[in-house]
Amino acid sequence: MTNGWIDIKNTDMMLIMGGNPAENHPCGFKWPIEAKLHRNAKMIVVDPRFTRTAANADLFLQIRAGSDIAFLGGLINYAIAQNRIAHDYLVNYTNASFIVQEGFKLPEDGLYSGFDPSTQIYNKSTWNYEAGGRVSAAPVAAAGDTAKGGGGTSQADAPAPSGGAPPSAKSSQPRTGLGYAAQGPGGAKAGAGGSHPGGQAAAAGAPPSLPPNVAYDPSLQHPRCVFQLLKQQYSRYTPEMVERITGIPKDQFLKAADLFTSVRINGDMKKVSTIIYAVGWTQHTFGTQIIRTAAMLQLLLGNVGRAGGGVNALRGHSNIQGATDLAGVFDILPGYLKMPNPDDGDFATYVKRITPTASNPAEWQSYNYWSNTSKFAVSFLKAMYGDAAKKENDWAFSYLPKIDRNYAWAQIWDDMYAGRIKGLLAFGMNGVQIGPNSRKNIDALKKADWLVVGEIYPDETSEFWRAPGTSADEMKKIQTTVYRLPCAGFAEKDGTFVNSARWLQWKNVAVPPPGDARLDQDILAQIFLKVRELYQKEGGKFPDPILNVRWPYTQPDHPALAEVAREINGQALAEITDPTGQGAPSIKAGQQIPGFAWLKDDGTTLCGNWLYSGSWTEAGNQMARRGTDDPSGLGIYPNWAWSWPANRRVMYNRASCDPSGKPWDATRRQIWWNEGSGKWVGNDVPDFKVDSKPSDHMGPFIMNPEGVGRLFAPLSAFAEGPFPEHYEPIESPITNPLHPAQSNNPVVRKMKSPLDKYGEPAGGFNIVCTTYRLTEHYHYWTKNNPMNVQLVPEPFVEIPVELADDMGLKGGERIKVTSARASYVAKAMVTRRIKPMMIDGKKTYQIGIPIHWGYRGIAEDAGRTSLDSANLLSPTVIDPNAYTPEFKGFLVKLEKA
Amino acid sequence: MPSGTLQIKAISAHSGPIPGQGVQREEDVCKYIDVTTCIGCKACEVACVEWNDMPFQQTTFDNTYQTMPATAWNYWNLIKFNEHQRDDGSLMWLMRKDQCMHCEDPGCLRACPADGAIVQYTNGIVDFQQENCIGCQYCVSGCPFDIPKFNSSTKKVYKCTLCSDRVGQGLEPACIKACPTGCLKFGTKTDMRALADARAQQLREHSGFANAGVYDPPSVGGTHVIYVLHDATKPEQYGGLPANPVIPPTYTIWKRAAKPIGLLLALLAAPVAFFHYVMEGPKEPAP
Amino acid sequence: MNGAIERFDDRARRRVGAYGRTMVRENELVRHPVYTRVLHWSVAIFFILALLSGFAIYSPWLYRALTPLFGGGPTTRLLHPWFSLGFVIFFAFQILNWLEPMTWTSDDRRWMKQVKSYVTNKEPVEPEYVDFFNGGQKLYFWAIVASAVVFLLSGFPMWFPKTFGRITVDIGYVLHDIAALVMLVGFIVHLYEGTGAQPGTFQAMTRGTVERRWAWTHHPAWYRRATGRDPRTDYEQARQRSSRPPDPTARTDLK
Repeated sequence: MTNGWIDIKNTDMMLIMGGNPAENHPCGFKWPIEAKLHRNAKMIVVDPRFTRTAANADLFLQIRAGSDIAFLGGLINYAIAQNRIAHDYLVNYTNASFIVQEGFKLPEDGLYSGFDPSTQIYNKSTWNYEAGGRVSAAPVAAAGDTAKGGGGTSQADAPAPSGGAPPSAKSSQPRTGLGYAAQGPGGAKAGAGGSHPGGQAAAAGAPPSLPPNVAYDPSLQHPRCVFQLLKQQYSRYTPEMVERITGIPKDQFLKAADLFTSVRINGDMKKVSTIIYAVGWTQHTFGTQIIRTAAMLQLLLGNVGRAGGGVNALRGHSNIQGATDLAGVFDILPGYLKMPNPDDGDFATYVKRITPTASNPAEWQSYNYWSNTSKFAVSFLKAMYGDAAKKENDWAFSYLPKIDRNYAWAQIWDDMYAGRIKGLLAFGMNGVQIGPNSRKNIDALKKADWLVVGEIYPDETSEFWRAPGTSADEMKKIQTTVYRLPCAGFAEKDGTFVNSARWLQWKNVAVPPPGDARLDQDILAQIFLKVRELYQKEGGKFPDPILNVRWPYTQPDHPALAEVAREINGQALAEITDPTGQGAPSIKAGQQIPGFAWLKDDGTTLCGNWLYSGSWTEAGNQMARRGTDDPSGLGIYPNWAWSWPANRRVMYNRASCDPSGKPWDATRRQIWWNEGSGKWVGNDVPDFKVDSKPSDHMGPFIMNPEGVGRLFAPLSAFAEGPFPEHYEPIESPITNPLHPAQSNNPVVRKMKSPLDKYGEPAGGFNIVCTTYRLTEHYHYWTKNNPMNVQLVPEPFVEIPVELADDMGLKGGERIKVTSARASYVAKAMVTRRIKPMMIDGKKTYQIGIPIHWGYRGIAEDAGRTSLDSANLLSPTVIDPNAYTPEFKGFLVKLEKA
Repeated sequence: MPSGTLQIKAISAHSGPIPGQGVQREEDVCKYIDVTTCIGCKACEVACVEWNDMPFQQTTFDNTYQTMPATAWNYWNLIKFNEHQRDDGSLMWLMRKDQCMHCEDPGCLRACPADGAIVQYTNGIVDFQQENCIGCQYCVSGCPFDIPKFNSSTKKVYKCTLCSDRVGQGLEPACIKACPTGCLKFGTKTDMRALADARAQQLREHSGFANAGVYDPPSVGGTHVIYVLHDATKPEQYGGLPANPVIPPTYTIWKRAAKPIGLLLALLAAPVAFFHYVMEGPKEPAP
Repeated sequence: MNGAIERFDDRARRRVGAYGRTMVRENELVRHPVYTRVLHWSVAIFFILALLSGFAIYSPWLYRALTPLFGGGPTTRLLHPWFSLGFVIFFAFQILNWLEPMTWTSDDRRWMKQVKSYVTNKEPVEPEYVDFFNGGQKLYFWAIVASAVVFLLSGFPMWFPKTFGRITVDIGYVLHDIAALVMLVGFIVHLYEGTGAQPGTFQAMTRGTVERRWAWTHHPAWYRRATGRDPRTDYEQARQRSSRPPDPTARTDLK
């Protein structure tokens, strides 16, 4: 979330889409309701089904799963056409005025400039800004009238972090910038040890970079300025086109568009709208781009950085945010540092590659906070390898693994299925259930040598060998050794949960683990110590990274999470003084550092994750704070737990003020410029260089090298284009009405294993299927808990009344859902909450399947339910940026069972 | 929040004065349920089962999100789901938390023939005392909301207690405590009614629900559980909430008046016989 | 009467009779054989239990006094339908047993017309046409039959409210009460008539016999059938025998 849960109460308008917070985040949903009750805020819900969230909405639109970009693009088009945009915000806080290089081509035919069909990779060199200065505001002329000049010296040198309020971080776009983002599943084809086909590597020669001085036109009239390109791009997303693609009737779409953009009537900046989403947006082959479209819409309307605004991702588990922050994905290190790759010969090369340089109009400033990357990286290596990380040995950079290809979730299973991965440690997840194409995952485990499952219940993964359909003969042939380790449950461990609002909240142990169950960290520590012992005794090819891991815990086989948390926060290794020079007391060796502004790249600090720096200071465990004071009444609660970065509750909050430093809305003041003290002050921690005067024109989006929000995402930020374009899901009932020749995302590749099959309408697969969770269950756990089983006893398939009538099917009768991969049988829930839709002129049905059941659980063990897993149906095909599989919007056919 | 001890106001089938009546006065408590912001998450259902330590029962899929068709002796709090198609074709998914309404004039208490099996506290809570319950189930037919439920193995009737045990200690009922959205609130009847009226007004003025209103039916003297409804003119669409809940005349006119009079008249036969004997004497075999 | 029922009833009568006897003294007639008496008292016991347990639940005033008899409220409520069922079953046999003597005739209509004279003891003996049961007895009997049917029909819904539904239960509740009141009145009258009002009657249901003079006084037609003698003649002879000297205990009508 750019903002936070409580902050939603400050909004005037909510667009909830790609998420179902009433059902999946019921506790957080109190804040949308607060906004309704106390601000008369309006709520628009767009979903394939009429959900429990929709039941609370002022306006509900039923959308076809996978057509979100078309809808959001339509909103952008409407906002621009009706001039309901935040003009000053747009000009000053976004790259709307930046001029894009000649040669860049919009995807009228579905492809941006630079596509190589043979590799399915873009050469992104044209996806760049034009170097230059301010363009005179008398353009209207033909393309190419760039009137370079203006000049001015570059001010792109990155000042050191300042003040007692160390600046900031980033959120919704963890993998922007250079690097691995362009990696598609095709990486697998390169094979182990092969070259790493990163987006940039495909382009010949030195990778292109952003120009330090960007040409720009504040009048937004230049035909190649970002705003004009944006307008041109989404002018194709007319209400008629939106209706064809999404199935939302034109009049309903216009009603929603009018309502949502009503906060910006006549450009008035008082009101704020928020966009709330969850995995309904991420689980597509263009998921990242859906979120980007939302972010662009919010930038266009001037809603980012403001109380009650933002783009707010609702995380689906109690600590998913924490997992992400600490390298939940293969291509990042803790704190969203990029993983090294084999071309990074030494630490300097690595740091140079991953550190962006400022790129902004010469008259403006860019903080470019990622210029501090080397401090974060060195401190991380010191935390990893301690004294073994020295300047002389490049901070032990050679110990870090280098990623040579894609190791994303779907790829791991594909590799195991292909026999390349021989063993798996599965903790905190139910592998065969949560991935797409469960059959393939089950078959992959049959080929593994060993499997270790740490769980609190016997689950489908640890019992993959008894999956339905496994014959007795087949069972005998399975040679996988399964080790089942009973683990502690969440109430049996201390530590932190990081919620969607980025709050690190410390929790205590409620009860000890039962029986032989052990804490996860104990199990991992004990395995590590054993492995280290083996390396000590027997040596090995490269024992150093193992032997030199810093392991300073009081009980090595039982690392206290408090100690780990202190290490993550970071400690001084020598006496260090206040980096801002403002006279804060210096920190002695061994003491906790107060925040990431104190991190150094000379080896005098260690820090497990720079974003969490400040969470456990010399003042104690900040995450355990429970202060309930809220002086501003904005729900900031600065003394409740601790929020990354730097205890800041709303990110990019500089944008809550106009360019002169005054809040857009005086009743919702987050921060403001205090002329007297020459500082940014306020109710929240400023996400900005605190002494940067408004006249300096420093951009509020300090994590971007441009300093401004990106309507146009240049170079390798995204794999499939600088602007989002609507592509059809891999399995779609129609071909893309925008460009039939390029229906799907061009950089997405299908998997090639015999079990990776994909369906088409021509093959009889013409019903759109989506998957989701219910309030009453928590993933695959709660089917082991009698209370939850009582609430919803068995799996079901939600189907429209009209479809049931066509089939002669009644509610409660069994139905067989078949995709190209497998079949799934459950009882039918016949409902009016999903209606038939007209998609590109064709009557189209959607159905939905909750995912919670499998072949182990109370009802399952008692033989009372179907034993199928919903993910038997879903396809293995992934988003090229975030590697998330397309669980939403695949094709099936139905028959009575 | 009203607190203090539970002062009994009325006792079922009890002759004679109520112990301690008039000793202290308390304000009426009330549960506020804003149906328009309920998300049907069932946290109240779970909290109810857990606080009251009720045994689980096996449910079956019934083409709905609703946990079971109706409340049960071991399931006092049930959200009723109803897909409601409006005249303009748009859909509403109505979710109403069903439980004892704690009527000011409780039909169950009127119907109950067992001394002390049902009590009404001065704070408005109507509570069943199972040790005094005789299992006759008259309360079941006396209730206009179909709330009391009979357990055929214990031969007792059970229902929501409004967590009288918690309220007596100054706590809110478990369902209120668990509600994540704040659509459930607890306080004095006056406060909750004012809150409900204000919310209904907001719905009428800002959300386009012209018939929004508060459900606090006067036909049972008002209830200590009140609903804010999108359309108060059609409470039936919220899972069968009666528009005009009435206590059957069986338990009003009949039980209160006709029965005692009838009994007295019937018993008159005894003195009549006696005086017949006195006045006319026995009819001896003659001679 | 149906032949099968008659055979069944006779068989029951014989079987029960085989276990008991009726001692008949001089000047006595057998009024109620063993079977009838056993049935009557079985009916009576269950009736009283049902009555007491029913009235315990009937009204709060009686609840506290009566429920302790049955071990408290819950057991009272538990036992009541079973008591009632016992009453109904035995009474069903009684109906079979008495169906013939209880049949309503024109004589009963005549009797009803002079009931005032009966109540006020105007005549020393009943009209000649009064047979085994008089019109009042028959009326009571049929009232009980009717009430029992109402009890049964209304009691089951109250016993199993889930099966029958709220409206049925509510109606049943009222009907059950009305039937109970009717029975209560009848019972009190019956009790009085069977004891204090008519000396010699109680013995008819205990030892099973009545004096001849009881029989010609209360049921002259039965006396005629049972003895083959004329009740009026026997009465007059007896009166003359006992009227010299006049009976000092003889009733003097003050009116």
